[in-house]
Amino acid sequence: MSPYFITLIVNNQRYVLEIGNRPGGVKPSHTLAHTLRENLGLTGTKVGCNKGECGACTVLLEGKPVLSCLVLTVECDGKSITTIEGLEDSQTGKLDPIQQSFLESGAFQCGFCTPGMIMSVKALLSSSSSPTDEEIREALSGHYCRCISHYHVLEAVTRALHKSR
Amino acid sequence: MKSFQHVNVFSVEEAVSTLKDCKGSARIIAGGTDILAVLKDQILPDYPEVLVNIKTIPGLEYIREDSSGLKIGPLVKLADLVSSPVVKENLKVLAGAAQTVGTPQIRNVGTVGGNLCQDTRCWYYRYPHSIGGRLLCLRKGSGPCLAATGDNRYHAIFGGRGCFAVCPSDIAVALLALGAEIKTTGARGSRTIPVQDFFNPLGNALEPEEMILEIQVPNPPAEAKQQFLKYTIRKPIDFAIVSVAVLVVMEGEVCSEARIALGAVAPGPLRATEAEGALKGKRLDTTTLEEAAGLAVKEAKPLSMNGYKVEIARALVARALSACL
Repeated sequence: MSPYFITLIVNNQRYVLEIGNRPGGVKPSHTLAHTLRENLGLTGTKVGCNKGECGACTVLLEGKPVLSCLVLTVECDGKSITTIEGLEDSQTGKLDPIQQSFLESGAFQCGFCTPGMIMSVKALLSSSSSPTDEEIREALSGHYCRCISHYHVLEAVTRALHKSR
Repeated sequence: MKSFQHVNVFSVEEAVSTLKDCKGSARIIAGGTDILAVLKDQILPDYPEVLVNIKTIPGLEYIREDSSGLKIGPLVKLADLVSSPVVKENLKVLAGAAQTVGTPQIRNVGTVGGNLCQDTRCWYYRYPHSIGGRLLCLRKGSGPCLAATGDNRYHAIFGGRGCFAVCPSDIAVALLALGAEIKTTGARGSRTIPVQDFFNPLGNALEPEEMILEIQVPNPPAEAKQQFLKYTIRKPIDFAIVSVAVLVVMEGEVCSEARIALGAVAPGPLRATEAEGALKGKRLDTTTLEEAAGLAVKEAKPLSMNGYKVEIARALVARALSACL
């Protein structure tokens, strides 16, 4: 099969990628997580279990949280993707209020699950300005934190909510 | 992941002809949340040469209401099924089941058709090839059922024959209680399969070049109460130990119709017809419900390590029924 090109819009930046089996290119079997990390150098997205059980690789695809380890890059042609690197203000470098709240609440220990958690919170707060505790828990239910920082995460989300008011 | 060719198709006809041309070496990908995990672990002896992406087919993502009931396109995402007002209003049991699937991220991607077609979670079947080699069994072509003599705590308590893996689909249980049918199309034309006939002991009724075209859910009886319950070890990111979908119609004090479907206890979702019969025409008090729950598991034949599932199934049936009162 001859190589062809796809376009990804990652953190508002356009990337044109060659699909094919050439070295350095994107293979049809590559996941979005792999492409983000290995081709685009966006290593903020973490790969934990690599089979959809931990939530660490969560990114926003067209604004909705998805597991980038279970999405094929080739199927994202023309789609808009937001990763943890896309949250800070690109001009000033100022962190997103959610990131700042996670810092202030100490909502992590090792931090491996944090980028994924923040992306799910971002999607939640973009679609709802006053989610209930139950909705917050539901939105975060696909994330595992092995350091058991979950309570601090809930506190961080509440803090971010107060900031946005 | 080992490489494969990826083909976008733009019509159902193209999907079927591509599957046919590939002569069994192609697999369909919709949401991909199951198939990609299957491919990563290389659990099957046959690795597909081609993945046929059906998400590029327009017009398969709809929830449509007509006089006979609801028609659901196979590419409807589970998250959209949960948030659909008409599903929430009329098919509470289906919305409830879809809500329990995986995680929000999985429901944002996973489709209704894919949920029905997903492969079993039997841990022998799913054993990764990279760790000492995949385990062969009847479901993969030949070999003994390793669960029959091994650790079978999550396996079937009903109707295993040669394979004791259970159907992991939650929405299948709700669709069975609702009496839904699955319309398919393939190289040999279209057909409509009732949900109970869609699953068989080694998978489902789809042929290699066949795909789901529509899920047809008849209107439930007016005033029917519905309840879906799922027992899991952890709340999210988990498959059912046992699930149950019930639908109860009352005429005054008396039950005029009851449907009970059990999930994760057999190769497919299972109707508990004897228990349903015991409720019909009765006033539903604690004794009647307990009796029906007992009948629902009367024929269970647990394996060496899963007798506890019988008790959970019995309790879930009783709880789901009493939630309908």
